[in-house]
Amino acid sequence: MADLALVASDLTVGLLLGCVFAVIAHGLNLIWGVTKVVNVAHGEFIMLGAYGAYFLNLYLGFNPLLSVPVDAAIGLGVGFLFYFGFLHRELRGKETITPQSEMVTLVSTFGLSLVLGNAALAIFSADAVGIRWSPGTFAVGPVAVPIGGFYVAIVSVVVIGLSDLFLTRTYLGNAIRAYSQDIAASQLMGINPTKIAAIATAIGFGMTMAGGALLTVWLPVGISPFIGATYAPISFVIVVLGGPGKMWGSLIGGLTLGIVIDVLPAFDVSSHITIAVAFLLLIPVLLFAREGILR
Amino acid sequence: MRIPRIRIPAFGPTLYALALLMAALGVATPFLPILVKVNLINFLIFVGLAYAINFITGLTGYVSFGHALFMGVGAYALGAGIDRLGISPLLGVALGAVLGTIVAVGIGLVTLRFRGVYFAISSLVLFLAARNIVPEISELGGSVGILLNIGFQPLAQFYTIWSIVVIEIGVTYWVTHGRLGYGLRAIKGDEDAAKAVGIDAARLKLVLFSLSGLFAGATGAVNAWSQSGVFPDTGFDILYSLRMLAMIIIGGAGTLLGPLLGAIIVYVPYNYFLTVPSLLGLQLAVIGLLVMFMALFLPAGIVGTIRRFLPTFGRYIE
Repeated sequence: MADLALVASDLTVGLLLGCVFAVIAHGLNLIWGVTKVVNVAHGEFIMLGAYGAYFLNLYLGFNPLLSVPVDAAIGLGVGFLFYFGFLHRELRGKETITPQSEMVTLVSTFGLSLVLGNAALAIFSADAVGIRWSPGTFAVGPVAVPIGGFYVAIVSVVVIGLSDLFLTRTYLGNAIRAYSQDIAASQLMGINPTKIAAIATAIGFGMTMAGGALLTVWLPVGISPFIGATYAPISFVIVVLGGPGKMWGSLIGGLTLGIVIDVLPAFDVSSHITIAVAFLLLIPVLLFAREGILR
Repeated sequence: MRIPRIRIPAFGPTLYALALLMAALGVATPFLPILVKVNLINFLIFVGLAYAINFITGLTGYVSFGHALFMGVGAYALGAGIDRLGISPLLGVALGAVLGTIVAVGIGLVTLRFRGVYFAISSLVLFLAARNIVPEISELGGSVGILLNIGFQPLAQFYTIWSIVVIEIGVTYWVTHGRLGYGLRAIKGDEDAAKAVGIDAARLKLVLFSLSGLFAGATGAVNAWSQSGVFPDTGFDILYSLRMLAMIIIGGAGTLLGPLLGAIIVYVPYNYFLTVPSLLGLQLAVIGLLVMFMALFLPAGIVGTIRRFLPTFGRYIE
């Protein structure tokens, strides 16, 4: 039987890790939920967000939390470009996305991920870098909580909460939800579909790149062009677990994955098997709860 | 009511050209220098992979990001077969094909229920899970892998992969020109409508997915044979998944000639850039650009585009 204090400590770290997982998957969740399109290059934009935070730290001395708004602003711009470059041609004038369009968006964003990942490899080199920022830990009973991770968790929950409020309480948010439910009906209500889809994609990209900045807190020496390939599948699993388009679903999915990844090793499960289990969670969810575990 | 038999059209020029090319390769290779032989083996491995993924992604439109899983299964079947059971490499390839088929049927029964993006993501996730589980199995060499001491047999390797490609081309032709082909085109167009007119979509997809697993497994086994060993990193290599997909997108998904053209376009820079380390990453970036461009502007690939814009010439290409 595993040591109880150890499990408590792993559970805490798992919850904090789950929060950062949730925020990096959140942008994908919004885009997927609204436009029904999956951005295969999602991981590469997390990676670019992380490098954004790294360079802001290197040249301007920003800590990762300060770079979050800067990354988010860059992400908004990138998201508009992405929408008009990759999605507009497939979504324009359609009431539902066809299987052909779905395949085109999957494949074209897959090409984009190859381009970005390998261009980053050529420009930034494969050597991992990191941001020196360690605000220390504080103790809750026997558990040492890392302060950096704690701040990140707060920011992620706030981001997810604000996005939920935005979608349910504002006019623009309601329009986005209307678009995601029925494009034809939302047009009859005077909603411009292109504008709504572009805005939702841009917001999603802003959150994705901000998520990359937050992730750097967890990667003190691990920012490399390869993190895209690591965190993209994790994001896909989180969004499916929570259900695409459900804002709090990111948090549920992220926490589930964070707890699995941090608590299984305490019971002497090897790290490889832990990762495999975390990924395989997707299959039963798809089989038995297609809309995600959150009702 | 009896369903009328669908007439299979006469053999087309594309098939003749492919048969001629393969026959020429088969006759000429024993007389070629050793370096060219090795290059041809590696090239035909790419061709074999392209035709393998063409069965599922090309013909049914189900995008698989995790097809290197079947390569890994085939590679480990060959490695474990030779090292533990003492079988010959050729039997190892056959074992790889059988295990590839079995794994494909098992996975297909579950994941082919998921449509579109859900299938794509579950294929990626299953690949990653297998990639993490296999190094934990000490019977399969753990994180070290299995080093095979079987010597260098370029001609045997060449004729094995050559036969695999020949069979793949034949099966692709048979599948696209028979009744299966009509059902597949219907599924690719609209799966619900296809079901409504009485096409057993689930069975058809499973047949195609297991064919895909069979050939990917066999090709993966030849790949391990040519590398004289199987290791977790090269047995389950996500780059092969990505290249497979890139090859059929560029060449033309679901066509007879497309996978070969795509394999040429992906293999040549791969082989050239291998000798220039600083450009290693750049070749995939260039291929990515090409995939992006094709998907956005010419989604039918090279073959489909020729058929569309050069109808007189395109009639002879499929």
